[in-house]
Amino acid sequence: MRAAILFKHATARKGSATALLVLFLLAAGAAVVTLKGATDRAVRTKLPGASIIYIPSGKFLKFATFGYRSLAADAIYLWAIQYYATPTIDDRFDHLDHVFAIINELDPRYQDPYEVGALIAVEGVRDVLSSTRDLSRGRGRGEYARSLIQAAFAILDRGDANNPDQWVYSFDAGHIALMTLKDFALAEMYFERCMKIPGAPEFVERLRANALFKKGDLKTSWETWLDIYNRAPDERTRKIASNHLYNVKATIDGTALEGEAAKYRERYGRFPADLGTLARTGFIREVPKDLDGKDYLYDPATGKVKTVISPWRR
Amino acid sequence: MKIGAIAGITFKEAKRDRILYLLFFFAAVGIVASRVLAVLTVGDRIKIIKDVGLASISIFGVLMAILIGTGLVYKEIDKKTIYTLLSKPLHRAEFILGKFLGLVLTLFVMTAAMTVIFLAIVYAHTLKVEAGLLVAVVYIFLELVLITAVAILFSSFSTPILSSLFALGFYLIGHLSWGLELILKKMQPGTGRSMVRALFMILPDLENFNFRTEVVHGLPIPPGIPLSAFFYGVCYTAFILGLAVLIFRRRDFI
Repeated sequence: MRAAILFKHATARKGSATALLVLFLLAAGAAVVTLKGATDRAVRTKLPGASIIYIPSGKFLKFATFGYRSLAADAIYLWAIQYYATPTIDDRFDHLDHVFAIINELDPRYQDPYEVGALIAVEGVRDVLSSTRDLSRGRGRGEYARSLIQAAFAILDRGDANNPDQWVYSFDAGHIALMTLKDFALAEMYFERCMKIPGAPEFVERLRANALFKKGDLKTSWETWLDIYNRAPDERTRKIASNHLYNVKATIDGTALEGEAAKYRERYGRFPADLGTLARTGFIREVPKDLDGKDYLYDPATGKVKTVISPWRR
Repeated sequence: MKIGAIAGITFKEAKRDRILYLLFFFAAVGIVASRVLAVLTVGDRIKIIKDVGLASISIFGVLMAILIGTGLVYKEIDKKTIYTLLSKPLHRAEFILGKFLGLVLTLFVMTAAMTVIFLAIVYAHTLKVEAGLLVAVVYIFLELVLITAVAILFSSFSTPILSSLFALGFYLIGHLSWGLELILKKMQPGTGRSMVRALFMILPDLENFNFRTEVVHGLPIPPGIPLSAFFYGVCYTAFILGLAVLIFRRRDFI
């Protein structure tokens, strides 16, 4: 009887101890969750760029990854994407080339980081130039933006050197030079390099011809567009080439006519009344016509010459 | 026959080891988690999945080989079951080889299971069975076989903790020794260079078994390299096992 009572008491004590333990665990769990939330909500002082200043070179990491270079490249690439997608880190672009150089060194055949790294650099240029905050931190927005453009070219040049069979890096570099940097000579150089790589799409040749035009090399641009026109595999390409030929000829003729009109003004104190006047007074041999055989439009008030129709709406 | 019996018992023993399942669980989690990681990337997701999957098979395979292999011989000595075994007409070389083959069989089953999960994850993304990945897995397994031999070698004369450290050191050196080649290129001819060259030839080069980058990027593997890497692995394993037998034969348990 006494034993039964003792057993009952012991069981009750054990049960209450278990209940207490469960309560303790629940309380501790709730405290942990609450404290975690409170800690996360607290705004902490961020040391700009502190997370990447200790990243060593790719050459060193090659040793330190013990054969898991490709995996290390993936890890740094994934981190880089999250890092560069965090606009609150003002100086995130400072080591862009270095970060992507590490990825490239660890896995030279990993294609995405070259393109994405260059894209981040170009986006960085836009951020630097348009942000209300001075992301250059006193170094000058223009100078900082130029350094980012250089980083984009450095990353793409590395991609090209490590993967000479891939045309996309020269293409991307040409595109950046054409659209962002507006350095048409550089764009032409990259597009020419791209064209020489097997598998490059045929439109790269058209981009090169356009870069030549924008660069001001109208003669080579005309020859290139004419070549494209003659070798056009389809009607669409022929039409595109024809429009560009029209534009190049109009630009050549327009520039020449406006130059002669300016000389006429120097001699007579006014622009000629029409283009025929230039021919009659010996400034030009004959009045040129556009590629469709139509007359150019001439404004005697400004001396400007233009085509009757936009080259792209013929 | 005796080797087979020892191998069978070792396999059964390893099967009961909880650490094996723990490591397998983490490997499986690693392989499956590659899908989550891949979501974070911009561009080729399957590359991340393949890299993480192959690395999981390799890393957890090496941990299995080291953590189980280093205890195999020591446990027999510690529990004094070695006396019973060696009192039978059993050569010590047979004991070592049996232990080795038993663990190799265990690792084969584990690697095969991890590979099935890995290929299933890759299939879920690409909807095709990429048999090319098996080349990398086969050479990871060959590396595991060598590490197993090394673990058994250290286990034959040292404690599990020290053996684990030694085996891990062997693994790390094996993946760093290719750096000696770079040093050699910068050294002037002489005694120092000859010594470094000798060291380079003797130290294990586990990068010989690393075809992960080629397989993931679909790059051609230069002909001849897989075959020479295979024989390199077999010969190095045989050498390490020979050394283990030599040391174990000289051990006095009384």
